[in-house]
Amino acid sequence: MTDEKQLLELCKYVVKSGLERGADAIEVLAQDQSQIDTDVELAQISSVNKSIATQIAIRVFVGKSMGSSFTNIPTHKATDEALELAINAAKVTTADEDWISFPEPQQYSTIEGLWDESVTKTDSSKVVEMTGELVAKAMKAEDGLMVTYGASGALQARVAYANSNGVVHAERGTGAWIVLAAIAQLESGVTPSIFSYDIRRGLGMDMEGTVDDLVSMIRLCKTKVEGKSGKHLMIFHPFAYSQIMNFTLLQSIRGDNVARGKSKIGDKIGDTVASEKVSIYDDGTIPRGMSTSVADDEGVPRQKTAVIEKGVLRSFLWDTYWANKVGVKSTGNARRNMRQGLVEISTTNLVIEPGDREIQDIISEVKDGYYIRNVQGAHSSNPESGDFSIVGNPAILIKDGKMLGQAEGLMISGNIYELLENVVEVAKTPLYLQSIIAPEIVVQDVSVIAKE
Amino acid sequence: MPGDEGILFDILERAIEVGQNLGATYVELRGESGFNEYIKMDDSRVSALTQRIEQGVAVRVLVDGAWGFVSTGDLKSLDQAVKDATSMAKAAAPTRREPIVLADIKALEDVVEVKAQKDPRHVPIEEKIKYMSDMTNVIRDYDSRITAVSVTSRSASGEKYLVTSEGIRIQSQSLLVWTMPWVTGKEDTQLSAAREDISSTTQGWEFFEKIATPEAVGETVAKRVKLQLEGVSPKGGSYPCVLGGAVIGVLAHEALGHLAEADLTVNSAFNGKVGEVVASEGVSMTDDGTLTDPSASGTAKYDDEGVAPSRVEIIKDSVLTELLTNREYAAKVGQRTTGNAKAESYLYPPIIRMRNTFFDRGDLSEAELFEGIDFGYYCISFRGGQAQMNASFQVGIQEAYEIVNGEIGRPVKDLSISGIATDSLLKIDGVSKESFHMATGRCGKGQEAFISDGGPNIRFAQSGITFGGKS
Repeated sequence: MTDEKQLLELCKYVVKSGLERGADAIEVLAQDQSQIDTDVELAQISSVNKSIATQIAIRVFVGKSMGSSFTNIPTHKATDEALELAINAAKVTTADEDWISFPEPQQYSTIEGLWDESVTKTDSSKVVEMTGELVAKAMKAEDGLMVTYGASGALQARVAYANSNGVVHAERGTGAWIVLAAIAQLESGVTPSIFSYDIRRGLGMDMEGTVDDLVSMIRLCKTKVEGKSGKHLMIFHPFAYSQIMNFTLLQSIRGDNVARGKSKIGDKIGDTVASEKVSIYDDGTIPRGMSTSVADDEGVPRQKTAVIEKGVLRSFLWDTYWANKVGVKSTGNARRNMRQGLVEISTTNLVIEPGDREIQDIISEVKDGYYIRNVQGAHSSNPESGDFSIVGNPAILIKDGKMLGQAEGLMISGNIYELLENVVEVAKTPLYLQSIIAPEIVVQDVSVIAKE
Repeated sequence: MPGDEGILFDILERAIEVGQNLGATYVELRGESGFNEYIKMDDSRVSALTQRIEQGVAVRVLVDGAWGFVSTGDLKSLDQAVKDATSMAKAAAPTRREPIVLADIKALEDVVEVKAQKDPRHVPIEEKIKYMSDMTNVIRDYDSRITAVSVTSRSASGEKYLVTSEGIRIQSQSLLVWTMPWVTGKEDTQLSAAREDISSTTQGWEFFEKIATPEAVGETVAKRVKLQLEGVSPKGGSYPCVLGGAVIGVLAHEALGHLAEADLTVNSAFNGKVGEVVASEGVSMTDDGTLTDPSASGTAKYDDEGVAPSRVEIIKDSVLTELLTNREYAAKVGQRTTGNAKAESYLYPPIIRMRNTFFDRGDLSEAELFEGIDFGYYCISFRGGQAQMNASFQVGIQEAYEIVNGEIGRPVKDLSISGIATDSLLKIDGVSKESFHMATGRCGKGQEAFISDGGPNIRFAQSGITFGGKS
């Protein structure tokens, strides 16, 4: 295991070597990860897995022309070979007159709690024990429940970044998780697959909560009811609406899409784009967030950005290249795909401002509506127009304050911007998910087509 | 370098002995080294150009009936990786009710060459960039309403070594060329988007010079955007329809094929149904790993357990007949090994993947297929699809037309389809004997696999497929 200081020394070497070899500007991001996890098949642990990986991504500019390379071998020799590839690529590719520079040095904040020592002591017997406990609890909790997937894991990651403007940064973080997915057999067919998980920086997972969450949903899905086409009140779980948003709204707030005319709200800063109940933040600094880090993948400090505040569009998200091009500042949202070398704008933790009532109280007052736990087909949404057509899976019918059962094949179509304008309430308690920290939302007048 | 393969095999075989000495029933090492490249072009600007040299080994051991898996990039510590994998498997084994066992296979040694006329590793970067900018220009020139064009391409060329404790010793070459244009069009406030996804795992850069040329690919995707902009909105609800082209393929692969992957079947809507009628009369569906045409992206001479692929008749004359297996699941379900084990790279263990999956031809002419549909839809290209184990599926359509009085009519925009696939299968009431189309694509099941899927035009009766639109 390389520690982050050693990684940083390697990054600084590559910067120096690259400049000597003819690069005019250079940046290097190195990551070292060690992960152990288990797989469950047919409710038994089938495999324990370990991965040890070092990844080094190099990006150079010769004049205004860019080349990138990658290697997984953390030596001077291998990184020098990778440098040659990157520099040669830069020499023959198209120049980008819009490119200005890599990030400049800035101050970093300290974020507590990103590294939990308990993770480094996690070995195979520990993850086997965690997974075993998880599966056993779930199977005991409900008749006919079949665990289709179960896992637990622990990860330690170290990151270092250096560039030719003098930016140097290193940090480390840990993560641990339990995941459970299950179905139940029905008279004909099976329920949808329901999953639940808990993910934190250290061990000390919420086993009970994760199992209860899954089992209570499976119970509801055992009853099949008929859905009704028309316009209805919908309560969306963050699993459901975050997927729709990922492929619509979150694409439209990316600065590059705004600049390229691919965002429907590209010219709407200051306008009302959602109901006043809706406040959405991108927060890369919230300690409890799993997507939190001190710096983004270009060494720019992470921050909390208000995207929509009480329904009004306040800001888009930027990385250095697009911020420079358009004349704004990076919001610390750069994500680098190490093997592709692509640096793109990406959200960190999506945080939605909670409301006043607990979800149980909200549901108890719904005369006629649906609770959508998860969706299918979000990724075929139209990111430019915001139109989507998904299947609520599962979609739970609510009548007179009670959740009755599952309506199969419920198709929900609409447009994300209409949906946001029709938000009538946000629940009180946020759920802490992998990249979203948010409660359920309640939306009126949603178009639904029930399966005949 | 020639001769290096001998050294590599020796290193891998020594590591196998380490595992056997520690009590492993089965030890498998899959080593890879190669060149990979990713290029993205946004509106004629190269936004990513990355080449990578990577090597690594995937170690898989079966000890006391449980698996241990280690993926490492450090070729110098393979013995330690095997030791770790063995102790990890030993930790899991006592928790199991019964041990995992593997179906028998034959030992074999082979060297598989995939002969590319133009190895993408040696094609100059300028040529690759020109291919992508030519495609961008073809697309922009097609229609003035096209506003943004992104083209992504990938290529790969490398060596793979598979060595197991059962006498498998296979050296093979991996090859990939892949491109995906994504195009946006705008008219007033209306925005439309379409994509194309095309690959070959058996040809080199010559695939882009002869088959997937900038003109062929560019015009196909630009036309979809044009049709979307000019299209009418769909009527939501249930209508008879004809699904063809890439759409019938995604139904075969996404909505149904996954249910026949033996590791998923028991938790799916196909559970317990082998031997039963699951489709209308005359409907057959196959997964074939032996196809040799350039669009058969799922084909390989051996799978990642060293098993030769076969032709699997998943649904034969309306009966669910055979599942897709790897060695573990062949033993579990009591079927032959079908050669469907595949891993994306040394970073992952092999799991059951589809290869080339399609509905078989039927007995109706095209005219007979469309006859009698007063109003319905004809769908031929999709943008993304997702399915669940209860056979619920959703597919976004990017090229579709109305069918009015048996004739193909106006193009339709922003359409998606959904259904319960096991129910849709029983609502098929016509399969063409004339049309047949295979499309290449990528499948995700925790790791990426290149596949192809398709079939003839197929008619579904009303309520077989639900159409998404405003109700």
